[in-house]
Amino acid sequence: MRAFRAIIPLLLTVLVVFVLNRPLGTVPALGRLLDPMNGCWRSAEPTDKDFSADIILKGVNAPVKVWFDKDLKAHIRASNDHDLYYAQGYVHAYFRLWQMDLQIRAAWGRICEIMGEKALEYDRTQRRKGMVYGAEQSLSAIEAEPHTKQMLDAYTAGINAYIKSLQYKDLPLEYKLMNFKPEPWENIKSALLLKYMADDLTGYTEDLQLTLLRDALSPEIFAQLYPERDSTSTPVIPVGTEHAKPLFEASVPSGNIWGHLTSGDFEKEEEKNDGKGSNNWAVSGARTKSGAPILANDPHLGLNLPSLWFEIQLQAPGINTYGASLPGAPGVVIGFTDSISWGLTNNYRDVKDFYTVEFIKGNRTTYLFAGRKANFTSRIEHIDIKGGTSFDDTVLYTVQGPVMYDEKFHGKEKILKPLAMAWMAHRPSNELYSVYMLNRSNNYEQFVNAIMGFHCPAQNFIYADKSGNIALWGQGQFINKWKDQGRYVMNGTENSTRWGAEIPTAQNPHALNPPQGYLSSANQTTTDANYPYWYNGYFYQFRAWRINQQLSTMNAATVQDMFKLQQDTYSILASKTLPVMLQYVSGKNDKYVGELRKWNYELSAESIAASAYQVWWSFFYGNMWEHVSGSMPLPLNPSAERTMQFMISNSPLLKDMPAVVAKSYQQAVDSLSRAEKKFGNKWYQVKNTTINHLAKLPAFSYEGLNVGGWGNVVNAVKHNHGPSWRMVVQMTAETDAYGVYPGGQSGNPGSKYYATFIDKWAKGEYQKLLFLPNKDQQDNNELIYTWNIKGK
Amino acid sequence: MKFAASTILITLLAALATYYMPWWMIAVVSFVVSFIFQLSVGKAFLSGFFGIALFWLVAILMLDIPNEHILSARMGNLFSLPNYLLFITVNVLVGGLVGGLSAWSAAAMRNTFMNTES
Repeated sequence: MRAFRAIIPLLLTVLVVFVLNRPLGTVPALGRLLDPMNGCWRSAEPTDKDFSADIILKGVNAPVKVWFDKDLKAHIRASNDHDLYYAQGYVHAYFRLWQMDLQIRAAWGRICEIMGEKALEYDRTQRRKGMVYGAEQSLSAIEAEPHTKQMLDAYTAGINAYIKSLQYKDLPLEYKLMNFKPEPWENIKSALLLKYMADDLTGYTEDLQLTLLRDALSPEIFAQLYPERDSTSTPVIPVGTEHAKPLFEASVPSGNIWGHLTSGDFEKEEEKNDGKGSNNWAVSGARTKSGAPILANDPHLGLNLPSLWFEIQLQAPGINTYGASLPGAPGVVIGFTDSISWGLTNNYRDVKDFYTVEFIKGNRTTYLFAGRKANFTSRIEHIDIKGGTSFDDTVLYTVQGPVMYDEKFHGKEKILKPLAMAWMAHRPSNELYSVYMLNRSNNYEQFVNAIMGFHCPAQNFIYADKSGNIALWGQGQFINKWKDQGRYVMNGTENSTRWGAEIPTAQNPHALNPPQGYLSSANQTTTDANYPYWYNGYFYQFRAWRINQQLSTMNAATVQDMFKLQQDTYSILASKTLPVMLQYVSGKNDKYVGELRKWNYELSAESIAASAYQVWWSFFYGNMWEHVSGSMPLPLNPSAERTMQFMISNSPLLKDMPAVVAKSYQQAVDSLSRAEKKFGNKWYQVKNTTINHLAKLPAFSYEGLNVGGWGNVVNAVKHNHGPSWRMVVQMTAETDAYGVYPGGQSGNPGSKYYATFIDKWAKGEYQKLLFLPNKDQQDNNELIYTWNIKGK
Repeated sequence: MKFAASTILITLLAALATYYMPWWMIAVVSFVVSFIFQLSVGKAFLSGFFGIALFWLVAILMLDIPNEHILSARMGNLFSLPNYLLFITVNVLVGGLVGGLSAWSAAAMRNTFMNTES
């Protein structure tokens, strides 16, 4: 008995240690986490840490220097290309390893390894989209080109040099919280990151919704509600620009070319997707005070911590470039060199189409194509699941592409009908070569040459240089499509519905030094009707209208004017629709209607009228189209632009508009009153702009930022989406560049550099970018830390 | 005197051991030291508790103060604690508890089995 009593404390101790040493559900192993020698505390970076160091890395051929300024913006100087990208890999990993790792696992469809079975549908979706397949295609192109092969090999080796130097105690905090470990980087991972961006920017589709609506509505009503083009667009390539003579014609094939969907092909409803956006523009010297062109760009993406972007300068003989880089890929994606600057917005031409698949009964190996049996090719996608189990998904490929949905997988859209997908991101292309060449471009010809191979995601490339040129290209690889091809689901058994010839990228719409003296893009329609090739896409007009309106009146413009335009929150939608809406609530006399009557249509942070309008519009827009898309398994409302035009013209298509407006007003007032009690009714409070940590940990996120804006105004700050990098570059003899992004250079939540720029970004402030001359020795006193990297 | 020596030894050896080895060495060290020092069970528990708590507290403060509580505030928030001080307190208590339990079990074993033999 005594012996037994003596054993009890020991058993208790063993039990406590055992429990503290094991993760429980999402709670990490607390003993390991709280241990000050090896746990979370190792991420407590001293705020006065001296980052200067001598670093021995066997992989560099010659000494490399990395200078840092007070915000840890990195300036790398190498004496050859290999060392440059090797050092960039090392720097990215040093500050952002966990983020790079997680993003790739998300792109790949390997989240089950970390989160367990609950991520299975997500992982399968990624695999069925052909993310890995597409990355393999791209990698073969990257590795077939000697420059990009060397670039990526060196970058990968640099990341791995850093990973190899780590013990458990040195791992980024999130590895310890989520209980997994980094694994060696491989070239395929950088290719996957590019596919991740391609998916983010070209993955959106309305093909299924439009197919449903086309079949459900009369052709006249359908054409009115969902017009193929918005004729009121101020297009990316200015009206009147001469386009190259078309190389191909395309006529609609005869026969049964369409696929059809009914609500029986879906299991349940799904919410509407939300588009992405971006702005860029360039103003020629004729319209600027300095006489030099000014270029501005703010790509709108998901706002996360660690930020998608990392600011960097890359220098070696033949290259001197500064800008925003993507941790996980070598080079500078948006930025400038000694003589040129460039920026990106998403192009939004549709490059992802769906085809019906007719399985030949009795097996999963053949399908009907062109009147005959055709064999699927298949890929087995192996998904490891935390806890030791795994799942094998056999993904079938038709001539068009992967079978996204079939009887074994319905996706979150719950589609029961087998559909295959053709997507430009599956074709071999080498976007990295464009980055490599852009970073070395010093004139327009080199710039054009650099972007010719940029296929997917298609982007509007804005350009300005020190010789005074401005240009804009709607760049990407596009297919010569016949009218409506790929706008709806197509009959996959017909050969005639397959994608035809690729349009040579040199034929893409572009403009150089137009008479108007400025160029801009904001995800609007790419061209006017004179462009000879047919295309559809997911275009937005509001920001483009506003930007073009503002630029057209700008003279003696300065960089401050560009800052102001990037911060612009004037809502064209509100200015056109509110007067109509107010007519139908003329009897009301509450405070919201009072605020709205004297409102200036600015979606500014502190405005109560902005909240009132936005909430009212949101109810109205949903209610107005309920009768059209409410019964659809995948709803799609007519665009806000279209709705606005109907309101202005008092179109009969807006059934019972006065009643709907009045009802929506009441809903809005009720909703705002509740909001006022809970968190306030100012626009920033209602909008609640949040920069989420990538693992969605609120403790590492920033909520309720005091910023105005919305997706349809120039300053497109939404709830967790918005300008992810704001850049303004004036191409004076000495480059005059400014930038800011909502994050910090360090990915470590225990670092004072974790969220350095969020406050500045929220206030609309910019930082002058330190662009160093291309040389070995620097004496700039803003550089406060130095890494001396040597081979031995 | 023995109590103080035991406590200090636990602090120092635990720090040394976990510099090279995993966190649960705090339990092993507390057990071994307590076993050798032959304290009563109550004193053994306190010695293990304070030995490890002291080590963790000092180690944490050495990291937390230069960090200006950035990490501890975020971690506290993550565990729904109102401030960084509470996070540090809970953290230190967890370490102390493991040290105390382990030292206590060593003393209990020794008192039971060694006394039976003699």
